[in-house]
Amino acid sequence: MANLQNTLQISALDLRLSIMAGVLVVMSLAFQMATGNFLTPENLYNIAQQSAVVGIVAAAIGLIIVARQIDLSVGSVMGTIGVLIAWLQYSHGWHWIPSSFAGLAVALVIGMYQGWLTAYLGVPSFVVTLGGLMSFRGVAFLISDGRTQPVTDATFLLVGGGLDGSLGPTLSWVVGLAFAALLLWNMVSRRRRAAAAGFPLRPIGFDILLTGFFIAVLLGFVALMSAYKLESKPSAQGVPNPVLIWGAVVMSLAFVVNRTRFGRYVFAIGGNPEAALLVGIPVKKVMLKLFLLLSVMVTIAAMVSVSRLNAGTNSLGTGMELYVIAAAVIGGVALAGGSGTVLGTVLGSLIIQFLESGLLLMDVGIGYRMVIIGQVLIVAVVFDVLYRRATGERLT
Amino acid sequence: MSANNKEPLVDIRGAFKAFGGVRAVDDVSVCVYPGEVVAVLGHNGAGKSTLMKMLAGAYPIDSGEIRVGGQPAKINNPADSQHLGIETIYQTLALADNLDSVANLFLGRELQTRWGTLDDYAMEKAAREVFHRLNPNFKNIRVPVRSLSGGQRQVVAISRAVYFNAKALIMDEPCAALGPEETRMVHDLVRKLKAAGVGIFLISHDMPDVFGLSDRLCVMKNGKTVGTYKTAEVTEDEVLGMIIAGKKVTRVAESFESAVG
Repeated sequence: MANLQNTLQISALDLRLSIMAGVLVVMSLAFQMATGNFLTPENLYNIAQQSAVVGIVAAAIGLIIVARQIDLSVGSVMGTIGVLIAWLQYSHGWHWIPSSFAGLAVALVIGMYQGWLTAYLGVPSFVVTLGGLMSFRGVAFLISDGRTQPVTDATFLLVGGGLDGSLGPTLSWVVGLAFAALLLWNMVSRRRRAAAAGFPLRPIGFDILLTGFFIAVLLGFVALMSAYKLESKPSAQGVPNPVLIWGAVVMSLAFVVNRTRFGRYVFAIGGNPEAALLVGIPVKKVMLKLFLLLSVMVTIAAMVSVSRLNAGTNSLGTGMELYVIAAAVIGGVALAGGSGTVLGTVLGSLIIQFLESGLLLMDVGIGYRMVIIGQVLIVAVVFDVLYRRATGERLT
Repeated sequence: MSANNKEPLVDIRGAFKAFGGVRAVDDVSVCVYPGEVVAVLGHNGAGKSTLMKMLAGAYPIDSGEIRVGGQPAKINNPADSQHLGIETIYQTLALADNLDSVANLFLGRELQTRWGTLDDYAMEKAAREVFHRLNPNFKNIRVPVRSLSGGQRQVVAISRAVYFNAKALIMDEPCAALGPEETRMVHDLVRKLKAAGVGIFLISHDMPDVFGLSDRLCVMKNGKTVGTYKTAEVTEDEVLGMIIAGKKVTRVAESFESAVG
């Protein structure tokens, strides 16, 4: 087993991701059998675009948790930024682009404030962002005096998906194939560089199988989305815009984690903060940047959310912090820090949304749904603890 | 090298550091010459680790001066210390347990491609060479260091000093957690580095380490220096007397010049 793992160059982390992907498949088959209409293009289209907002924030908060911090304020900050963007458009007649940039600027200021308190003053991020959770919900109310701010700009409304906010089949295939080409190029260039450095390569068959699997999932998704056609529209829907945005966010964060110093420092800080300081990593600066990165993702999520709802309301994003953290944890991000993957947060977000949607289709009431999702979170963490013990990863 | 021997590689003068009201290091002066091993001894809490952490940049110095290669040096953080060619091997090893050996060797000083991304292959290649030089049996370099043995973890920590061509090296209890074979490896390495002209501060409790490796020794007690002597001129009992009772040796003169060559 260990030998095979060595030859194929797969880590315990890769195995865990495959297990989670397996869980998703089993879940979808079970729900399909129970309801008969779970695995339809329409339902999967809705699941995909409903997962996007949580998924975008979960990808970034996963990194915060890896660095041994937490952010409980993301839902409230998203509310503040969402209302602000809608308010500038509706009550002040701003164009959506400057409105969104204003939202981003405010989000960065908030991230700077909370990040500075955490990184430079050493206030526990739990406390800082717990305060933020309450304060920024208040700010969301104050901005528009509690009044709902509708948004009507046709272009802005495309961001959030819905019936019109998708790529359409042609563009979906173009984008899908482009991403597939990127995956292929990534594999080839990695092999080429490994060969140039004289390292043992993965068996080529396994590499092709692996990349082929990802490409198949990607193109399968595009095909599925392109199979969803509304009676009222001439052409099929294709990939929803929020999912495209989510995909771009995930790719960029995966790049940051795997290929940049910043990403490596985040993991080093999570693994051993004292060592990170002693080897000369600018820990405070990295931490502050991490909070700013989260602010950017929260802004994007706020735009998608407001656009989806056609309005900014002061309750936007209420309770979202719990879903986002749950998604990251279910996706294998360890609360002890130092361990987690961006792809895991994607699977975690999907698992939650699969449950929500499947249980809804089975006519399970809201009360039972909350009970079940809560317990699934615990099951995920129990699995995580047992898995780490079995693979010899020590828990700190 | 003989010309260099006249001038200290690292010269700490009148270093002072207080934590709250506690004078952890109080007017301490000590220096190391190229190719010399200076042992820094004392009880727990004598101030030796604090003194070395100021040199390593982990604590800012309150007052006093550090000169490196004759020039006054400003050391505000670990990166400053590294830029001056000072490497530190901490007792805790300062490893990120969740990262692999290659990532740990280059932690904070990663090699990058021309696009500013991590150059993992160049790092792994360089790391393999360094690890192989230190311990030819060390092969599983791509697993998280938490699953390595104590000796292998030590190799990773030491490899930083070797790869980045330390001019001066601080070793804090390098053999405390090691078996006999690994201790011998560390001793060999210290002699090799010494022969290559590296100046080494060795913090140790272990008398065989001190007498086997050091050229001079400096004993601290309660944040102050008790005395600095050539190792060959004092006995183990006298050293213990300095550590425990703070009793200065008067039989021989103190030595502030290179004991090498």
